[in-house]
Amino acid sequence: MRTVLRIFGECCLTAGAIVLLFLAYLVWGTALAASAHQHDFATQLQRQWRTHRDATPATTRLHLVTGQPFAFIRVPRFGRTWRFAIVQGTGLAQLALGPGHVPGTALPGQVGNFAVAAHRVTAGNPFYHLNQLRPGDDVMITTAAATYTYEITHTELVLPGDTAVLDPVPGHPRQPPHQAMITLITCDPPWTGTHRIIVFGSLGAQTPSTGHHR
Amino acid sequence: MYRWLWRRLPGGTTGKTACAAILAIAAAALLWFIIFPWITPQLPLDHVMPGG
Repeated sequence: MRTVLRIFGECCLTAGAIVLLFLAYLVWGTALAASAHQHDFATQLQRQWRTHRDATPATTRLHLVTGQPFAFIRVPRFGRTWRFAIVQGTGLAQLALGPGHVPGTALPGQVGNFAVAAHRVTAGNPFYHLNQLRPGDDVMITTAAATYTYEITHTELVLPGDTAVLDPVPGHPRQPPHQAMITLITCDPPWTGTHRIIVFGSLGAQTPSTGHHR
Repeated sequence: MYRWLWRRLPGGTTGKTACAAILAIAAAALLWFIIFPWITPQLPLDHVMPGG
């Protein structure tokens, strides 16, 4: 009896230790991996853009490859140092690297809906504070060609099945778009999959890239 | 379980302690680098995509 109890107790302690280690992995392990990738992406984009600019000054086309970065996103409300490279694709493999561009949606600055999804928690918590964005806040997207400043218009909380937020005109599947919009997507509440928090914005200013990228 | 393991480890107290530490680190590394990255996508954690 004592042996059985002891083995049971040891199993419980082991399971507890594994769960604690797993939590540490979710909080720090995924963040460390994402931050290493983000660092590489920043270097890669800056190098690409420098050579690209020397070769073809004005006409810069976006080159989209799944899992590869093509733009930076900055949100002043999240702080001066908050910046992520956006990768193409929103599979779990891409979202583990950083915010992902939803395939098939518009490109930055294009008329239509430029949709970006990111983790609320894990992978460096890119969109942890998405719920704090208010109408009038800026979201800056920098590509090889330009920096596009979108102004937040409104926020919605939707169910996971609501894919209408990705439409060229969000919520109106067949309507042709006339406006360049941005849609930022993450989960709500954090750690769960019960709802999605969706932040919409429309394109305001647009400044051509000068040759300086932070 | 652990008592049995401790008896099987070679060496004196120092050797056993070192051996146990190495085993613990190996088990943690296996979890951290192989099992956790594999299991995370299977859990209903932080799914952000609409329709996904």
